[in-house]
Amino acid sequence: MFGYAGKILFIDLTSRVVRTEPTEKYAADFLGGRGIATKIAYDLIPAEANAFDPENALIMMTGPLTGAAPSSSRIDIVSLSPVTNLLGGSSAGGDFGAVLKFAGYDGIVITGKAEKPMGIRIIDDEVTFHDAEHCWEYDVYDTVDCIKRLGREDVQVACIGKAGANLVKTAGISFSKRNLAARGGLGAVMGSKNLKAIAVAGTKGVKVRDTKRLMETNLEIERRMLESPAFKKYENWHANISLSLLKARRPYFGDYEEEFWEEAEEAAKNAKKFFEEMATLRPNSCFACPLRCWAWVEYKGEEAPMVACQGTFPAIIFILKIKDPELAWKVYLRLQREGLDIMGTAAVIAYASRVGLVRLGSEEILSLIDEIVNREGPGNVLAEGIKRASEHFGVPAVYVKGGMESWSSDVRPFRGVSLAGAVSESGSISRAIHGFPASSYYTKPEKARKVAKEVAGDESAAEPTSYRGKAKLVAYFEDEHIIADSLGVCDTPMLSIPLELWAEALSAATGMEFTPEKLHFYAGKIRTLERMFNVRRGVDREKDTLSERLFRSVIRSGPWAGVGIDREKFEEMKLEYYRLRGWGENGIPAEETLERYDLEW
Amino acid sequence: MPYLIVHEEGCIGCHTCEMVCSLSHEGVINPDLSRIHVLGYKGEKFPVMCLQCEDAPCELVCPMGAIHMQNGVRMVDDEKCIRCKMCTLVCPVGGVLYDYINNKMIRCDLCGGDPQCAKYCPMNVIEVVPDDAVPEARKRGVRVLYGEAD
Repeated sequence: MFGYAGKILFIDLTSRVVRTEPTEKYAADFLGGRGIATKIAYDLIPAEANAFDPENALIMMTGPLTGAAPSSSRIDIVSLSPVTNLLGGSSAGGDFGAVLKFAGYDGIVITGKAEKPMGIRIIDDEVTFHDAEHCWEYDVYDTVDCIKRLGREDVQVACIGKAGANLVKTAGISFSKRNLAARGGLGAVMGSKNLKAIAVAGTKGVKVRDTKRLMETNLEIERRMLESPAFKKYENWHANISLSLLKARRPYFGDYEEEFWEEAEEAAKNAKKFFEEMATLRPNSCFACPLRCWAWVEYKGEEAPMVACQGTFPAIIFILKIKDPELAWKVYLRLQREGLDIMGTAAVIAYASRVGLVRLGSEEILSLIDEIVNREGPGNVLAEGIKRASEHFGVPAVYVKGGMESWSSDVRPFRGVSLAGAVSESGSISRAIHGFPASSYYTKPEKARKVAKEVAGDESAAEPTSYRGKAKLVAYFEDEHIIADSLGVCDTPMLSIPLELWAEALSAATGMEFTPEKLHFYAGKIRTLERMFNVRRGVDREKDTLSERLFRSVIRSGPWAGVGIDREKFEEMKLEYYRLRGWGENGIPAEETLERYDLEW
Repeated sequence: MPYLIVHEEGCIGCHTCEMVCSLSHEGVINPDLSRIHVLGYKGEKFPVMCLQCEDAPCELVCPMGAIHMQNGVRMVDDEKCIRCKMCTLVCPVGGVLYDYINNKMIRCDLCGGDPQCAKYCPMNVIEVVPDDAVPEARKRGVRVLYGEAD
């Protein structure tokens, strides 16, 4: 096969049986990455299984462009999420995905449960199991170092820290030391399978159909990236992102407080100072990506790679209300080392402050993180995620669909975000919303209006608090994300380059011809299959919702004073979204939609 | 023939050079078959490739006399080469490589004068300089390390 590595590796940990299946079986119907992973999840995971059952499958899939085009390094991870007990998905960049393909595999499917802690090593055709009992409680950094010392230095590692081993439900899967498939508690799924780490090295490479055409397309994509005004900004992105988010009016503070945090700007300015004057940064990139959105950050003898993303430093300073960047850095190190989802864990800690377990902005946060990781005292309850913690303490919390911790942007004023939080397959808003015009409405208003006009046919759809056109925007950007996740392209750069070029690169690499329309058709199909997975588990219109507290909460001060969510209009948005998707009024895919996409229950 | 000068302080470790090098030479994407390699130590990255040395150790050590300079590029004669890989051992920069798939020695051939790695490098870290400008470019590298010369 061209573009694809050609095989998918199936590993059953209970029986230690390793086998492969040709990717060809799935590629024509489900593209790759998220698409194929969803199909395998639909086929393998029984409707009555729970996330920590051996029957659950952990599926890591690369796309046909992973490692073959600029900014294409992604690997998509799909499994039954322990947070929502619905389909969970998250993706990560880095080098793991590309190297997995060079080893000859498009993806890894892990089923069963190992008897004892175990690691897997994949060097081309050689798949070996290794005892991991001694390193079961290592954090991510120690695990990666330990594995690299065992043999080949050049392996890429996917692993969990102590949090994943202790089944903490905000644990993600770390890819080497920097990239994290954060959302949905997939690290806990890996922990429940007694799987500590997967190490991969590959020497086979990937064949492509038309070398010249692919190289020309890649050069054109790269040229557009380098020429865009945003490219220069990436250099200082760590320093500027917090202020920029604040300007876009996106963060929420503490446990979804209704009062604006007056010191937010000071905190963001401190963060800017931290990255500009106090710490040293060495910009780096994932495989084949020119954007350098992450950097090795060094401060006072401690160092860590950090992605300049709203889910890392900004989430820490805003959600945990930390003004002192040194403390924020310590919190970052702790969360990163344990492989915890920063957005999710920060939301849980903020909730803990509501029930009096911790003071936000103080050093107490550090010890609470340790308690969560080790499941000690109240940490044992908090490790179960925000929804179960709120049931335990009897104090209502804020979460989106199924109990997933909300995104780092405030859900209340952003109608599109609230809709995505309710209808998306796992409540994982970050799989739907990048590029959303409302996000840049206060920073780049003209561009936001233009995008809204193009997609929803109405400029006013760009306004965050307007309900109009939001369903269309959510459906459209969900599709774009599904295409990105399925091809293995990173969603941020993908959205700024015309889809025609990605379709061209895909055609050149695989030898099959693709157009933007065809890719959108695939996206609709994959989205419907995701929905079928959840419908099989009892999801319907009623379950597509946010936590009760969000509907009662009205913001009292700051730029969003007086804003809350109107339940009736929210329901209308949902209905419109179902209609656009071809799902019935109850949110269940209609017969003709299934026929159109050639899907079966 | 031009020469390649690497300004490694600007390298972001994206491995795009490895991708295009293996693509353009072998038609596959495989960093192991790339003539340029980005070595990394934490945040620091060092792209290395054949530097077309004057008194090349690889040429001197070759028992078969298979390595020789041709139009400013050092080439390996596949017919003469016995794949003893001595050249990979003596190369001080790791610029000589063994292609274990096609069983031959590979190294940077400057893409016949249009180096693809330099063309695709997003950070312009790989500079193509005419051969008479090499001494000056190398001196610039020394100045980065040790400061301005007297």
